[in-house]
Amino acid sequence: MSVLELSDVDAYYGNSHVLFDMEMAVEENDIVVLLGRNGAGKTTTLRSITGTVPRRTGSIVYRGRDISRDSVDRISNAGIKLVPEGRRIFPTLTVTENLQVAHNACSNPRDIEEMFDIFPVLDDLRQSKGQNLSGGEQQMLSVARALVQNPDLLLLDEPTEGLAPVIVKDLMEVLSDVVEEDVTVILTEQNVNFSLELAERAYIIEKGSPVWDGTVDELRDRDDLLEEYLSVSAAE
Amino acid sequence: MVPLDVLVMQLSPNLLVRQVITGISIGSWLFLVAVGLSLIFGVLDVLNFTHGVLFMIGAYMAVVTTVGGGGVPGLSLILVPLVDVWPLHPFWLGIVVAGVTVGLLGGIVESGFIRRVYDREPLDQLLLTFAFVLMLTDLTRVVFGTGQYAIRPPEVFRFTIQVTEGVRVGGYRLFVIGMAVLIMLVLFTVLDRTNIGRVTRATSSDRDMASLLGINVPRLYTGVFIAGAVLAGIGGALAAPLQSVTTSLGNQVIIYAFVVAVIGGLGSFVGAFVGAMIIGLLLALGSQIIQGGGTLFPYVAMIIVLVFRPEGLFGEVEA
Repeated sequence: MSVLELSDVDAYYGNSHVLFDMEMAVEENDIVVLLGRNGAGKTTTLRSITGTVPRRTGSIVYRGRDISRDSVDRISNAGIKLVPEGRRIFPTLTVTENLQVAHNACSNPRDIEEMFDIFPVLDDLRQSKGQNLSGGEQQMLSVARALVQNPDLLLLDEPTEGLAPVIVKDLMEVLSDVVEEDVTVILTEQNVNFSLELAERAYIIEKGSPVWDGTVDELRDRDDLLEEYLSVSAAE
Repeated sequence: MVPLDVLVMQLSPNLLVRQVITGISIGSWLFLVAVGLSLIFGVLDVLNFTHGVLFMIGAYMAVVTTVGGGGVPGLSLILVPLVDVWPLHPFWLGIVVAGVTVGLLGGIVESGFIRRVYDREPLDQLLLTFAFVLMLTDLTRVVFGTGQYAIRPPEVFRFTIQVTEGVRVGGYRLFVIGMAVLIMLVLFTVLDRTNIGRVTRATSSDRDMASLLGINVPRLYTGVFIAGAVLAGIGGALAAPLQSVTTSLGNQVIIYAFVVAVIGGLGSFVGAFVGAMIIGLLLALGSQIIQGGGTLFPYVAMIIVLVFRPEGLFGEVEA
């Protein structure tokens, strides 16, 4: 049985129709990347799963149960955790407090100290307010805040956006370790190299619908797809 | 412009001290109203106009309980036996009854009605809460009648303390000032140190992210609204011995509470405290400077803050 299965999912922001008949199946311990141009519907796909899109139709079955009508907090408590675009750290809370809020909201959390082992950079910043962290530090905290909740299905929305290459490398190392563990991951990413290195399977989304899916190895040999849908030239 | 020292010279030192103490005392119970208003706005982003009426109902409940629970049909059925078994002075029971009644009422108003307009524009929220103001005021008139109520504080407070030669402060005024400070410290500690406080702060800064972490935001909102209502009820009960209780009390109070919140910065507790003290002092001193015109000063202060520092003295600028 798939961990997550989307069928005929349509999503809307007010009058604008963003996803059309979205189909996707994610298996246990899959690392799936959603690829596509800006505005293709990658983030909206994740938001449909977490319940944060204003309106969605179709079925979203998570571990055998349709969650498409559940509230956001209920979906989260079922084990689906999002690292959102823009990181969304609580700005007036300290690093420790950000983790405590997540830890205490979860019924089977991981230890907060474990997060400081995984992200040593956060260990030195325990008492710093979220708003005083650099973009890279905030991204680490955002990932840690999701991990401390012991996710079963982890969603990462543009994790490398706006980060310096050296930070992207750090993040890559951490995420490679994370995905080794017993967790299923869906990520969206503009940085094709990053995502092809991390992921095993890929979906290409264009204008709100899936146009191709397959393994990352297959995709590497398909310069035509990379060029047509992602504007990545084969030379890269 | 008249220099400040000329104005102050019209006050004898004794009168000045007395008015400062009166001002702090007024500020203390204004704080008790404004802090709940500020809490609700800070977390729920709703301007709760019913807050003054909740305060007024708290005052009525305290008065009726303190006089033994009788006289009000329906209510006396519950209150009289309660007063009979209560071991302490009925005034203390009055504070509890006020807090519980107003808390329940707040819970009903939030979960039944206000909850449905969170995503609407502020005007809708304002109209809805204003409708409740009018309704609850009329309902209070139906239940308690149109007369004035007044109670005296319990005997333990029938003492005065000499501050300077010729200036004495009543025990009850000191008690109210102490309660305001205590409630501020308790709120501050709860918000700063406890899990529910952290969750409240997190949700007030990013409600969607809080939901994504699995926090039941509607339930938290109801809890915060009830907490704010309980504060209003207790504030009303504490203010009851200081003035006559009538159905116009709610409107008087809500206007000053908004002035306090605007000056201090909506959503800030320290702001609510400082704002309440400023308004209390302006009211008390202002009435001596311009006879009968003391109520001018708080509005002048509000206008100055609104124009030059719209986020308030302690408010955070919205990102």
